[in-house]
Amino acid sequence: MTEKLLDIFLGEAQELIVEIEKAVLLLEQNQQDEHGISAIFRAMHTLKGSSGMFGFEAVSGITHHLESIYQDIRDGARAMDANVLAITLKTLDHLRNLMQDPHLGDAGVRANHEQLLTAILSLEDAHTSHHTANNTAPASANTAQQRSYYIYILPHPAILRNGTNILYLVDDLLALGEGTALPFFHQIPELAAIAPDTSYMGFEVVLATTKKEEDIQEVFMFVESDCDITIKSLADGNILSAIGKHEQIQNRDVAAALGYEGIKALAAHPKKKISKADKARSAGINNAASIRVSSERLDDLMNLVSELVTTQARLSLFSGENDSTELSNISENIEKITRRLRDNAFTMSLVPLESIVVRFQRLVSDLSKELHKDIEFTAVGMDTKIDKSIIEKLTDPLLHILRNSIDHGIENPEERKRRNKSPKGKLQLRSYYSGGNVIIEIADDGAGIDLTKVKEKAIAKGLIDGHAALSEKELTDLIFLPGFSTASVITGVSGRGVGMDVVRRNVSDIRGEIDIATRAGEGTTFIIKLPLTLSILDGLLVKIGDTDFILPLTSVAKCYEVKTAALESSFNQLIQLDEKRLPFFFLRNDFAITDHKPELSQVILVSYDGQQVGLVFDRIEGEYQAVLKPLGEFYQRQNEFSGATILGNGNVALVLDPNKLIGKLIDHYKNQQRYEYAG
Amino acid sequence: MSTQAETLNSFLSFRLDDELFAANVGKVLEILEIPKITKVPRSPEYMRGVVNLRGNVLPVIDTRTKFGLPPTSDTVNSCILVLSIASAGKNITLGAVVDAVQEVMEIDNSAIQAVPSMGTRYKSEFIDGMVKLNDQFIMLLNLDLVFTSEEVFVLEEAAGSKN
Repeated sequence: MTEKLLDIFLGEAQELIVEIEKAVLLLEQNQQDEHGISAIFRAMHTLKGSSGMFGFEAVSGITHHLESIYQDIRDGARAMDANVLAITLKTLDHLRNLMQDPHLGDAGVRANHEQLLTAILSLEDAHTSHHTANNTAPASANTAQQRSYYIYILPHPAILRNGTNILYLVDDLLALGEGTALPFFHQIPELAAIAPDTSYMGFEVVLATTKKEEDIQEVFMFVESDCDITIKSLADGNILSAIGKHEQIQNRDVAAALGYEGIKALAAHPKKKISKADKARSAGINNAASIRVSSERLDDLMNLVSELVTTQARLSLFSGENDSTELSNISENIEKITRRLRDNAFTMSLVPLESIVVRFQRLVSDLSKELHKDIEFTAVGMDTKIDKSIIEKLTDPLLHILRNSIDHGIENPEERKRRNKSPKGKLQLRSYYSGGNVIIEIADDGAGIDLTKVKEKAIAKGLIDGHAALSEKELTDLIFLPGFSTASVITGVSGRGVGMDVVRRNVSDIRGEIDIATRAGEGTTFIIKLPLTLSILDGLLVKIGDTDFILPLTSVAKCYEVKTAALESSFNQLIQLDEKRLPFFFLRNDFAITDHKPELSQVILVSYDGQQVGLVFDRIEGEYQAVLKPLGEFYQRQNEFSGATILGNGNVALVLDPNKLIGKLIDHYKNQQRYEYAG
Repeated sequence: MSTQAETLNSFLSFRLDDELFAANVGKVLEILEIPKITKVPRSPEYMRGVVNLRGNVLPVIDTRTKFGLPPTSDTVNSCILVLSIASAGKNITLGAVVDAVQEVMEIDNSAIQAVPSMGTRYKSEFIDGMVKLNDQFIMLLNLDLVFTSEEVFVLEEAAGSKN
């Protein structure tokens, strides 16, 4: 080793130390400066490498451990804090000494070295992610224990009246790990109208924790019925640093929640976050923040992604059959990337609901004039995005519901005064994400649906039996029957009895569901639940005999293994599971599949109309991302199959729509019984 | 009658049971060996199921059942004709299982005879004409109608109503 090279190394090391020092000082101003963190990480990495080469083992050892901490910070697995910065500065001073005394000859330097090393190691250990000695280990290895969750808490307005302190909930949540709570206000009235015992606010919490989802749920144990709560996993590891200083978080509109997708999008694009340092830099290029792409090219992209997903499925099948560690590593990696690419590509084809709101505003103002009603229309959460093909098919049903609410729901001003309501009726269109779904609600504060009137009408029209005992839900559902209308005067606007059945059909055509919540005198809310996209579905691959089926994962509640014989011998189609007696369908019989009957069958519980129903399959193969392909015109009547998908082995699997299937099977058995009684 | 049938006089003949039929080649996209067919439960009996045609889902019709012929199991000669037919202004692609494909032949318009209104078990609108070849009649099918209609053959007895 020549003196010359050593000189170069020492010079370079000095420069690196200065560089790190500069970055650390900047970081003290703004702990989230991503550039600073990466700069430190890079400089340390270089320093570690070259000092190792020149035999400066003490230097490379200590920088290695410090570097690991920065790597975690950079990867979002831990947050930057003052402790880390303080110890970095101390280490830098120590490194300067080490350059003169690389082999720890001086007792003072040695003591200092030991002390710093323990301090760094304890910092490293304090963090859940225990970094392995190999600094090239993938980030996923050390972040597996920690997960980031998105938690949406919207307490019901009355929650304060039973003495619940919402802030305690948030505190309890944050005690589970590291997190940030983002409050938002929900329908806050004018100051004079604010009732002190009413809650108008909600929270979105991003929580990084090693705890399980159940533990998070436990926090809400006592308030479950008083809050709308959504808990969703955001990502592996700690993404707080990625979203903490995000511009959109800081300048967000507190009137509405950001939503799971919103937060997730922020976390996915940490590059967008603007630190003080690069605010100025980006100011000039802000205009290029978005580009226009023709929808045709997007469709092309989507098709390619779909093909990639199918091909990837083939690859993982192939790698499963061929016992090669390397191949399975590659295949797993491609699976991860494909999944991300898919999610990314699909969010690109999503359009905010805003694009159709103008039409609604126009309708409301025209109609309220025509019908002499005073209506205040508000739209909340219109930045919620949804597949453009869904939006196209959504406009008509939404228009119809709005028309209904204005025409039948909201009373005229005189009537409202008589009922002690403000003469101005309120109509709200709101939308938000809930899991993999988008919820759209249309709420009015009108008269509500008069269920006794509904019942009378249904009896008069012969839609139901006069003696039928119907639950409230069943009664409200009557409005969706063809040929039903309760308006006492038929207007030109609505009330011809065509409509709600069409609305329901339109919504179910796009794999959505519609529900009504109504209270006499207080108003009606229509709730539409929609999938984010129509072309890809996360499913469970199951088998009966040789035939593959896909069940949408969203509808699967639980799976049980049960002896086939026990199912076959059941005469009342009920099975005892977890101390509940549940109806089930032995699909082997219903589908007339007779080959390879197994000894054990799988009962998969899905929810149907508010209760759980078991569907019996032979085998569960695992999760599967299905690219939906239409079955075509020949299978129009088999709408219990929403499509088909090509599996990795080239076979075709049928995608089940559990709701339609169960509905059809129930009808089928009812008819059968009728015949039996008649015979 | 479709425009293709007027311009093209090439026909592909195929066999079902011991009867010969022919389809205008303009309608035939390709001929496949029979792959694994996924049966769609609760569908009509003449629907054999769906197959994977290079990443797309192709519905396959059991032509024998559709034509009211007795069912048999597939042989080495059985194959799927991939057809493009017009239905309500759209072109749809489907597969039709036939017992064997014979040959492609040129048929002169003048050789096509009218279908006798009596004596065939098929509704006359499904047959564009007949050709006599080596003492056997070949029925020229109107594919658009055959595969978009529910009932192709005349039920002599009212039995066999299946759902």
